[in-house]
Amino acid sequence: MESSPQVHQRGGQDEASDRQAAPSSAPAALVRGISALWAEHLHGCDVGPDDDFFALGGNSLIGIKIIDRVSQDYGVRLSVRAFYLAQTPARVAELIEQGRTGT
Amino acid sequence: MRLTPGAAHDIDLDRVDLFDLDLYTSGDPHPIWDVMRAKAPLHHQVLPDGREFWSVTRYDDVCRVLGDHREFTSERGTVVTHLGVDDVAAGKLLTSTDPPRHTQVRRAIGARLTARAVASWEDRIRQAVVRFLEPALDGDTFDLAEHALLLPAIVTGPLLGIPERDWDELVQLTAMVTAPSDPHFQHGSEAATLAIAHHELVTYVTEWVKRRRSAGDEDGSLLDHLMSVRVDDAPLTDEEIALDGYSILLGANVTTPHTVSGTVQALIERPEQFEKAQADPSLVPNLVEEGLRWTSAACNFMRYAVDDVRIAGGTIPARGAVVAWIGSANRDESRFPDPHQFDITRSGAKRQVAFGFGSHFCVGAPLARMTLRIFFEELTRRFGSIDLAGEPQHLRSYFIAGLTHLPIVAQKRKTP
Repeated sequence: MESSPQVHQRGGQDEASDRQAAPSSAPAALVRGISALWAEHLHGCDVGPDDDFFALGGNSLIGIKIIDRVSQDYGVRLSVRAFYLAQTPARVAELIEQGRTGT
Repeated sequence: MRLTPGAAHDIDLDRVDLFDLDLYTSGDPHPIWDVMRAKAPLHHQVLPDGREFWSVTRYDDVCRVLGDHREFTSERGTVVTHLGVDDVAAGKLLTSTDPPRHTQVRRAIGARLTARAVASWEDRIRQAVVRFLEPALDGDTFDLAEHALLLPAIVTGPLLGIPERDWDELVQLTAMVTAPSDPHFQHGSEAATLAIAHHELVTYVTEWVKRRRSAGDEDGSLLDHLMSVRVDDAPLTDEEIALDGYSILLGANVTTPHTVSGTVQALIERPEQFEKAQADPSLVPNLVEEGLRWTSAACNFMRYAVDDVRIAGGTIPARGAVVAWIGSANRDESRFPDPHQFDITRSGAKRQVAFGFGSHFCVGAPLARMTLRIFFEELTRRFGSIDLAGEPQHLRSYFIAGLTHLPIVAQKRKTP
């Protein structure tokens, strides 16, 4: 039995990432910082605050690197689940903000 | 997916959608594959997002696609969930590696999984199976499909070297990989479900390797064995160990339960077959082969054409994705007469390709075969009758043909 654990930017037909972008409660500078960090790991493509990680070509190898960098740069260790369910720089920034303030 | 097909009906092959998850949850793929084998043995489908793939459904073509790595490479991914996205683990994950590297690594890992090697585990596995079956005989409704998800863990946990406290979580994670759209296992979107599961499984094995390294001894488990495997006089890299450990966990967890549930369902529907096996335990090994053929839990695997290749009366262009439908090959009437009859005395049942074919043939097959044999030996010995106690529910997956619910009530067998 087999399945490769790496690449999955495209889902199947049940793709359910149709959540509406909401204004982020995180500081704009933090959102920009996260967008830039993603861009760095996603072949330098343009990343907006509400872009979807998987639609940009994100996979679990890139996810691991980004989670590590967030931990180094912002001092917040994101859970794997929280990171992948957040799915956009704006929402990841909110997670970091929550992690910093302990809420 | 339904394992006993319903009535034949008109099928327009140009409009068939083999990626329609409803087809597997509540539909009936076998009549479609029947028509594909007869009229379009090489079938082409373009998905709404532009991705495309070819399908082979006949036994011989399925074997050729799975078995010939020169024509059909595994190094761009082998699981249809990832169609169109090249596998970044190519050459590191054993299942996404072609010979010659594949041959060397597989031989080293497989040395611990031969029929001779796994025979020493028979008594332990039998005890585990008996413990598993006992609660089904207390008179209440027992959801076999739900419980069976944990069966491989109960059986192989100690052999793999994974403590019992971790099994529930690992079983959830491996189910997420194989059925990321099934409501039982989905977290957020399909993509998020896959990413979470891949990430956490690989992290689990990586942490496990770290702990074992710092412990400095050997526990004789299969994962421990991965750390001592040497290929070309070099050990596997930590990344390879993590990926192959992941693959072994996945292989152990996600197919055996569905073979168990699907075969038991077939026996419930055909009490005369169950009675035959009860009367003659020597039929059990062939019952297992027929159950493997019938359920074909790994419904398909994917390859990519290396160059333009002529097959099944057509051509797959270079770099095209081709899906080998194992579930269809195992119902090919040219190999299995009356293929939609479940018959535990079928001659030639052992030619089923449920474990795949060629160099990527399931490395765990001897262990799976032994576990299934023990399971059905104990089932036929201890169970008098089995009845359905509710509607079976099918797994929402085009990759794994399985059941999420199979409620049964069983009576103890009175006569020896």
